[in-house]
Formats: sequence, C-alpha cells, structure tokens
Amino acid sequence: MLAGKRVLWPLTLLNLCLTILGSYTERFDEKLTIKSLQDGKVASIFTFTTLLEGATPRNPRALGSDDESQHYNVFPLALGQILREYGVSELHLTLNAGNWNYDRWGYPEEKGVGTGAELWAWMGDGAVTTIDQRWKGLRNAMAGLFCASLGTLDELRTTSPSETFTPEGSLPTWDVPHRIRHASLPSENVCTENLTPFLKLLPCKSLSGIASLLNPHRLFDADWHGMGVHVLWRQDKGVEVRLTFQTVSDPLRYSLNKMQDWSLQTLFDRTICQACPVAQTSQVLVDLPKGTPYSIKPEPSSTERNIAIFQTKTFNMPLNIGISWPWAYQYPLQYKADLIPLSVKRTLRGTSQAWGRLSITITNHLSATVEAVYLETMPWLLQFYLHTLEARVDGVVKDGIISNISYIPPVSHSRPTTFHAVLTLPPKETVQITMDVTKAFLRYTEHPPDAQRGWDLPPAIITPLRLLNNNDSSTLPLDGRIYTSALLVDLATPDFSMPYNVIIFTCSLIAFIFGSIFNLLTRKFVVVRLDVDKSL
Amino acid sequence: MSLNSKTSSRPAISSNFAIAFSVLVAARLWLSLTDLSNVLKHDQQLSSPLTSFSQLQEGIYLFNHGIDPYSGGSFRHSPLLLSFFATVFPLSRKLASLLWTLTDAAGAWFLVQTWRVRQNVKESQRDALVAALYLLNPYILLPSLALSTSSFANALMLATIMFACRGKSTATLFSLSFLLHLSLSYIVMLLPLLLLLISDPFSHLASPRPTSAYLRKLTPLVGEFALYTVTLTLISTLVAGSWEWIPQTWGATLTLPDLTPNTGMWWYFFTEMFDHFRPFFLMVFNVHLLIYVVPVCIKFQHDPLYATFVLLGILGTFKAYTTLSDPGLFLSMIAIFPETYPYLRHPLVTVLLHLHASLLMPLFHHLWLTQGTGNANFFYASTLVFACANGAALVDSIWAGLRIAIGENVNGYTIVQE
Repeated sequence: MLAGKRVLWPLTLLNLCLTILGSYTERFDEKLTIKSLQDGKVASIFTFTTLLEGATPRNPRALGSDDESQHYNVFPLALGQILREYGVSELHLTLNAGNWNYDRWGYPEEKGVGTGAELWAWMGDGAVTTIDQRWKGLRNAMAGLFCASLGTLDELRTTSPSETFTPEGSLPTWDVPHRIRHASLPSENVCTENLTPFLKLLPCKSLSGIASLLNPHRLFDADWHGMGVHVLWRQDKGVEVRLTFQTVSDPLRYSLNKMQDWSLQTLFDRTICQACPVAQTSQVLVDLPKGTPYSIKPEPSSTERNIAIFQTKTFNMPLNIGISWPWAYQYPLQYKADLIPLSVKRTLRGTSQAWGRLSITITNHLSATVEAVYLETMPWLLQFYLHTLEARVDGVVKDGIISNISYIPPVSHSRPTTFHAVLTLPPKETVQITMDVTKAFLRYTEHPPDAQRGWDLPPAIITPLRLLNNNDSSTLPLDGRIYTSALLVDLATPDFSMPYNVIIFTCSLIAFIFGSIFNLLTRKFVVVRLDVDKSL
Repeated sequence: MSLNSKTSSRPAISSNFAIAFSVLVAARLWLSLTDLSNVLKHDQQLSSPLTSFSQLQEGIYLFNHGIDPYSGGSFRHSPLLLSFFATVFPLSRKLASLLWTLTDAAGAWFLVQTWRVRQNVKESQRDALVAALYLLNPYILLPSLALSTSSFANALMLATIMFACRGKSTATLFSLSFLLHLSLSYIVMLLPLLLLLISDPFSHLASPRPTSAYLRKLTPLVGEFALYTVTLTLISTLVAGSWEWIPQTWGATLTLPDLTPNTGMWWYFFTEMFDHFRPFFLMVFNVHLLIYVVPVCIKFQHDPLYATFVLLGILGTFKAYTTLSDPGLFLSMIAIFPETYPYLRHPLVTVLLHLHASLLMPLFHHLWLTQGTGNANFFYASTLVFACANGAALVDSIWAGLRIAIGENVNGYTIVQE
C-alpha cells in the first residue's frame, strides 16, 4: 500500500504528460439505464462512450500514404486502427439475438435491433482502392476483432440503402461523395466469444465500473440481448465511439412468488464493487414506475422527470441498486398498443418450394396519416414479382398506399434486391401488402451444410418519416427504424448423395440416344437373300 | 359420274376442314378463358424461366417504370417480345389468352399448309386430322394455356417451315432470325431450312438420291440471314438500351444460370455438378446439339423437310430449357409424314413411355415441391423416362425415314444394317 502510494504521483504525472503530448483529449463516460417494461420484463441498456476530442475521420485521399501516429489512452486502439486503415467516417455494428417486441417494449434506446449481425458504414470515395475493396477489408477486420463471421457479409448480402440508413453523426465535408455499404446476417449467433473482445475495447475492461456488471451467464440468458459498436463524428466535438449492450431480462422467471422486484444482484448476479477511475461520469439511470407504490434502494443522487439518477462514484461500494414492489405482479389484461406509432408483422406464405407470397401487415395506431419508408434488402434467393405488389385495407385492394418505388433487381448468385417504397398509411387502419416471390434453385455447392434448415432472410425496415394532417396534438416519437423479424425460407434441395449417379444416368441416356442415331445415320441398309437349305 | 362425285366432294372437304378447324379453335378459346391459366402459369413443366408468362409480365412492368429489366438476373425474354408487349399489345389476362389461342390456331394452319404443299394438293381429307393433332396435343395445349411464350416459338417455327416449303426465301430467313432471337438453340435449324429452300418439299423418302440442288445458292441466303439477324440484334439493343440483354437471353442458353427444374436433362445434371467441371460440361452439352446438324442433313439430303423434322426432335430432347411444348411440336409434326407409319418399329412402346412420363412428371413434381414427401430424384427419374420416350420417338422416326427407301418385306430376303 505504501509502495503503491509512492508510485501514484509519478504515474499521475506521466499520465498528464502523455495526455498533453498526445494529439487529442479523450473522455470516457459510462451509463446504465434500467426500465421496467409493461410485461414485467426489465430492459437494461449499457452505454460506454469514448470521445476523441478534436479528431476527424481520415481523409480517404490520404489512404495511399502512411498514416500519422495516433496516441490513444482511453480510445480503443484496435478499433481506431481499423477505422483509420479503411478511412471510415461512420460505422455501426450490431450483434443481436432474439426478436425485439415493439408492441410491448416500445422503441429500443439503440435503434439497431435487427436479428443477427448488421454492419453498415459510411465511407468517403476518392481513395486509391475502391469503396467495395475497403468494405471487404473492413468486414474482415471487424470479423477478426469481434470473432463474428462478418467476413461472409459479402456481395450476396451487401446493399446501399442510403435513405433509410442516414448518418447518425455528421459526415466530413471533403469534396468527395460519401457512400454507404450495409450488410446483414440474420443467422449469426451471439455468445461469450463476441462479448470478450467487446469488453477489451473498454478502458477498464470488465474489472471496474459499470462494465463489471456484464456477466455473460446472465446476459446471454436474457430474452433479448444485443451488443453494438457505433462510431460517429460529431462536428463540434470529435470522433465518438459508443459501445452499447442492451438486454431484456425477465425477473419473473427467477422469482419464487411472482414478484417483479429486481436489483443489480438479481439481474446480473454482480454488483458494482469498484468505480472506473478513467470514467468522467458513471451513472445509473432508473425509470421509476408510475402509478404503483415501490421502494428504491439506495436513495438516488437526484431525480428528474421520473428518472432516478445514481452517480456511482459517490456511493459506497459494493453498490446494489434495486426496486421492490409490495405486491405480486399481475399480467395486464391488455397491453398498451400505442407505445410506437406502427406495428409491423412480416410473413412468408405459401406451401410450395418453387414460389410463395411475401406479406407485410402494418397497423397505424395514430389518428393521423403516417408516411413511412419501407426497405427490403433480400438476397437473390427470393425474387420479387413487382407487378403483383398489392396493398389492401380490410381485404379491399387500395391504390395510393405504395408510391415512389425504387428497385434494384437482384443478380443471380450475386447482388441482393434493394426494394424501397414510400407508404402512406391511413389513420387507425391495418394495411396488408403482398407480393409474389419465386424461390431459387441452388447449385450443389451453394447449399450450406445444414441445407434442410433453410436460409435466414434479413429483416425489413420501416422508418416512419412524418405525419400528414396531424389533428391530434399528441406527439409520439416518430424517430427510428422499426425492424421486422427475420424470415426463414426453405429452398428445394437436390439429393446430396447423388452427383455421380446423376452424371452417370444422364450421360448414359444421352450416349444411348446418340449411339442409336449415329448407328442409323452412318450405316446403310443392305438386302440379304436368305438361302433356304434344300436339304432340310 | 366419277367426275361429278369428285366435284361434289371437293367443297365438302374444304367445308369439313373449315368446320372442324373452327370448332377446334372455339374449344381452345373457351378453355383458355377459364381460370386454368392462373393455376398453370406457375407450373415448371409448362414454362421455363426463358418462356414464363410471369417473368414476361414482370419485365414489362419494370420496363414501363423505367427500370432496366436486364440489369438484374431474372428476365430472360427477348427485347423484341418486350417491345411488342409494352407498346403494341397491352398484356391483360383476357387479351393474352386470346392471343395465345390465335397463335396456336395460326400454328395449326401453318402445319396444314405445309402438309398440303408436301402432298402437292389444294386440300385433302386429312387436313382436319392434322390440325386436330396440333391443337389437341396435350403437350402443345397445356403450355399454351399456361401462357408460355414457347407457343410463339412453335407457331413461328411452323411458319418458317411453311415459307421454306413454298420457296419464299425472304420470309423464311426473316422469321428464322426472329425465332433465333426468341431462343438461341434454333440456330440448329438454319441448314435444313436453307436446303429446303433450294430444293423441294415433296416426299422423296422412298427414293433417296444425292441432292440435285445447287449448293452455291446457299451463300447469298446465309448472307441474307446474317443481315436479318444483325438488324434484329441492333433493334433489340436499341429497345433494351444496352448490350446487357445478350448475356441474359442468349447467354442463358449457353451458361445455364437458372437451375429451375423443367422437363429437360440439363437442370439436374448441372445442379449436382461441382463448379470445377461446370464450364467443360456446358461446352459439351452445347456442342452436342450442333453435331447432329450436318450428318442429319447429309443423310436426308433427298428430303430436307424430313431433316427439319428430325432436327426438331433433337432440339426437343436435348435443348437447354425444354418444356413440354418442344417435344410436342416434334410429335405433332409426325402427322405430315404418314408414309413412314408402316415402317415404325415400336410405336406402341413410344406411346407407352410418353404416357408413363407425362402422368408421373406432374405427380412427382407436386410431391417434391408442394407436398414435400418426395425427393428431387423422383422428378428427375420421370424426366429421364420422358427423355427416353423422346429418344425412342426420334430414333424410330429416323429408322422409318430410312427404311421406307427399301420397301416392303419380301419373303426370302431380310434387311440388315451394315
């Protein structure tokens, strides 16, 4: 302890010197938001933000030459190197498992809740290498960094939906255009091996601070969990890296007498034992329940607008925050259906493995017309018949709901479909949009090892844009993308044990017919006199 | 008196044919206006990706909305069809059924005309039978109900043959080059049709001799054909806006990008093939179609119409994206060669093989793709039987066409091949 105190002053001085000598000031904040949802579940959102003040993304024109050295203390070096190597202006990677239930849980705090892996990036053009080559390098580098199979997000899954995935931050104003590349892999599984490199990007790792609550046993047991890496540039501040982890856990599952109570110990099986010394602010925000009595322990540092704020550094460690209710939880008879303006459900109908029908049902809960953007990025396996696109309200076909269709057709064994339409949804109505699709027949080598499982299709994304004729003064949040669930399509498989047999059968038949025709064409008929043996 | 009966029977023959033809066409029209097309247009044995009506509608929709239908991967019809249906003829369901029925009626009429020219008569008693064999052939009827564009190809092929029989070279070459734009495999028909143009369509099967046609006349005809083809190619490029339609349409026949099942032998072969061998076998299968042209034309140089018929059979069996209508054309065309019927060796076997295949193919297709209780192998096996049936018909026709030259069997002599 004494020796530690002796080293403390030189270390702080060294830290200060390095911080001054290094190019930028860095700032690390951590935050945990906990909300109780209406079906008894608890949503926890971990947000770790590192800000590199004054920095800008690397100009793609400089990609050919050596980069200037970057000195980071708190900013994750592995991620920073990847960003500078490929000249990425904005990057979003999410690895989610489960289906976010918008009707019961409302809008998530981090908008990217599509199942599986989703990676999208805005990059400036004008470098020596093309954007697609840099995208490929970026995918593979992120795959290596996060131990996720992001390298398979190749041309079969990459599209450029620039209207739906608008930049969250600002894009630097170089005189080159910025392009987006987006790919999603719904079949990606998320587990501890993805969490470990995620934690390594944090300055305190999982040893202290709020990150010490990230217990993989509990996190991956949750009803829904997803991690995200978001890199953006804020023009007046600098480059921001935001690492997020969202979970929806179910305390009712663990409680013996249907109590909705939760605490950090029951949710994560851990408590905050030590504050992260590098964090500027370390907060836990708890949404306080409305309308029912409750008790919250310990007392929050401050409360504003129904949110209890705990500044963890001012509390005694170990810190265990929790809420308890006096009565057992009652499942509501009917869930409030107006947490978000639109409810979306997408299904693939049809029993044939040759063709089917894609159907998407959107319910508008508002009493004003909503204009929304509908985006489908479908791999080439499922090909749309746009001429069969129909919108029905109450079973009656209606024009005027779908407009402004922009469509990039798929290329077999290559580019996916990008279908983008503007929907005008009438108030308080359910619209059903259907379209015929054909299912592809793949080559032997294109089928995955478990071919009978089928292929996962990425979610469709509905983005509400604006309200038209808004008579109602209530303002529901219209921001954010709504992801539908991923679909599973089973394609017809050939018999995998038969390649040799098929070649043999077909070639034999062709040879037989060819041989007979060859015989007939090259031989001539001859009349032969039969000698009748007179002696017999 | 016999003269009287002859003159009184002649209007009876022509009115018989007219009545029979109208009845057949009306029956087809009635059938096509029922809802059968909506069910049949998805069937993969009646229309391939190159001839599918849904794809045609999709391409026209994209074209009308300013999206290039050839920039993606699934529209494989010729730009000529695209421009025809997008501008001249709007494709509603009822109009489409009417058009397809009229196309089939035209095809039957062309076949009857070819028969009449071959027999060198103005009309005959068999006309109605020939028309019925085309219009009522289920292999022709069902794809036409399914609104497959192979009906256009068949009618155009019969028109080309009729023009060639009548000696009209311009019409023949132009319709053949149009046909080439509908499907690249029809290049195989160029040589026999040219030979038919420079000789006569009458039946010489019974008396073969080396052709007396002047082969030098072929060169300007080939040049004219090339001119028409190049012109239509340029028109197609103008319609499509770029050269991308060539790999999408003609390239599809050569490289088989779409492995949708059909009644041919190619799809499962190339589904099960490893990528390493794909280019080699694609080359083999494509060249295999070409090697039959010259030998068949040489062997049947005395009767080029029969050579055309035989090559149609070869196309129907070995083409890239076959449907039921390609062998259907071959089978219907047997109607104009009645002189070969006594010399067919195994017509019953052929008929039974066709019956077997045509009953089992839709059953196994349904079991595999809709019900899921069958394997792909079931359907593949039934297509093998279908190919056997086509091969049997083909081989038997070639045998009969050659055997007819020897004449009937006489006691004490036997006919062998050496």
